[in-house]
Amino acid sequence: MANTLLSVKNLSVEYTSEGEVIHAVNHVSFDLEKGKTIGLVGETGAGKTSIARAILRILPEPPARVPNGEIEFEGKDLLKIREEDMQKIRGKEISMIFQDPMTALNPIMRVGEQIAEVIHLHEHCGKHEATEKAKKMLEMVGISGERYYEYPHQFSGGMKQRVVIAMALACSPTLLLADEPTTALDVTIQAQVLDMINDLKQKLNTSMIMITHDLGIVAEVCDTVAVIYAGEIMEYGTKEQIFHNPQYPYTIGLFGSLPDLNSDVERLSPIEGLPPNPADLPKGCAFNPRCPYATEECRKEHIELKDIGGGHLCRCCRLNEIAAQKAKEV
Amino acid sequence: MSVPMIEVKHLKKYFNTPKGTLHAVDDISFKIEKGKTMGVVGESGCGKSTLGRTIIHLLESTDGQIFMNGKDITRVDKHQMHEINEKMQIVFQDPYSSLNPRQTVEDVIREPLKLSKRYKTRAEIDQKTDELMKLVGIDERLRHAYPHELDGGRRQRVGIARALSLNPDFIVCDEPVSALDVSIQAQVLNLLQDLQEKQGLTYMFVTHDLSVVRHISDDICVMYLGQLVETSPAKELFKKPLHPYTKALLSAIPSTDIDHPHERIKLQGEITSPIDPKPGCRFAARCPYATEACKQPQQLEEILPNHYISCCRARELNQDIL
Repeated sequence: MANTLLSVKNLSVEYTSEGEVIHAVNHVSFDLEKGKTIGLVGETGAGKTSIARAILRILPEPPARVPNGEIEFEGKDLLKIREEDMQKIRGKEISMIFQDPMTALNPIMRVGEQIAEVIHLHEHCGKHEATEKAKKMLEMVGISGERYYEYPHQFSGGMKQRVVIAMALACSPTLLLADEPTTALDVTIQAQVLDMINDLKQKLNTSMIMITHDLGIVAEVCDTVAVIYAGEIMEYGTKEQIFHNPQYPYTIGLFGSLPDLNSDVERLSPIEGLPPNPADLPKGCAFNPRCPYATEECRKEHIELKDIGGGHLCRCCRLNEIAAQKAKEV
Repeated sequence: MSVPMIEVKHLKKYFNTPKGTLHAVDDISFKIEKGKTMGVVGESGCGKSTLGRTIIHLLESTDGQIFMNGKDITRVDKHQMHEINEKMQIVFQDPYSSLNPRQTVEDVIREPLKLSKRYKTRAEIDQKTDELMKLVGIDERLRHAYPHELDGGRRQRVGIARALSLNPDFIVCDEPVSALDVSIQAQVLNLLQDLQEKQGLTYMFVTHDLSVVRHISDDICVMYLGQLVETSPAKELFKKPLHPYTKALLSAIPSTDIDHPHERIKLQGEITSPIDPKPGCRFAARCPYATEACKQPQQLEEILPNHYISCCRARELNQDIL
């Protein structure tokens, strides 16, 4: 595709801990077009953040290691280029909004200076110019430029997160990695932040990878969705395909676990059991121990992603049987 | 009408801080009927956890009254306190910090049993511990496990078992599922509902997650900066929110319904400081409908049956649905 900005191919990430190898990300591939947003959805420990950190090359190595994969960004493989070249991309062309605004800022540095630092480094401008631009960025995220000289502890959680966003957007990146940007915030502040990200994305035509466990946020900001479980993409499709027609049993389970605001359900239908230990993944489909439809077939061998129509991918060998069973229930 | 399980009248809890008096809970009144669940929602810092803790006497109230089964329990002596502690329990938000890391699962659950002096022999205590573990679904093999060996969902189950150990009547659930993943969250919510049915428990469910509160509650209180702004039966609140703050709060929830995106009410600014607040509506600074009249103290008023709100402009703003 001519419009592809980022193409992740066959990416894996491993961590070594006390002699055990933890397979955090396993052979993940996806494409992202310019101006579009992909949502990576999954539970704690599914490997979502490791994917983002691998793209930005900020994994702690060791213990982390990328044994295989390609990350093609504007014609370059980010995993192959020199660290000096990567430094020019990091913060300038690709930037990241970190999850926890309480720890993402330097507590003993004025907030404005933390934004100006990025601008000064990447735009090769003078200190004064960087200061002026940082003030503008603060105003863009709805914080008065006068607060440039304050410290993070003088800001509330929502404002700190906006500072983190201002920092990420300071150099108008072409790709934004948003790692649970609103998890630590209250709903009304979350709504403000999501609106702001959406506005800025449109203004700057930025592509975005939105990492979240909240399907509501996916519905609001994403174009395509990848459901991640045990470090693998289990289902992939457009937002409409995933929300109207979820196929993979885990995706269906996620929707069943959510209390719905618009309908009255007496009992939720949770997914039984717990996520697998990434150091000892089950054989075959990683979800099989928790899957209500699992049979011997699911435990035999690794299952490939299959196109089930219109680019909707799903990693399940029993789709026909599940569909038949559901038809019977109705 | 029967006597409510819990009733609070004009309850206040103030904290003295170097900057002034912090009005964490400011003149709150409501009732919870036996066997029902009262959901308390609001943003962080609105005083919802303080309210729960004040009711069960983890914090001493500044003013107002608390009744349990019609009996005034606001000020009690040491002996009565012991009784109250057995009848009112709490499940904490963070299953990581609310369990002693040096106690095993068994120790945590057994502690209240030993303290209560209800059980004479070790065998009786062991038997009760077994029952409790089974009740909340903790595997027998985890009996001697330490909290760090358990995942969040299981730890929260241990916290629930501890709260249930002395057969309380009333439990304050302080954000019990907000630290858990969605699939685990649903398991714990179902457990809480099952326990309520089996044991006739009364809950006060404190949370910021509106879809969870709608799912589990019979009635809901919406709090803003220490004050009650709206209270009504759960379903009605979501169908007919009347207070401007409730409306904004509901419209801010990201919806999974991608075909019918709802109009969002945009709020400006953030929660103001609860230290020495001005009289009048505390939401007025962010409210799109605020006028001069909002600077006067607001009264909680019954606008629809069992549906109370404190907003002087409620009637004119809601003409279409009243």
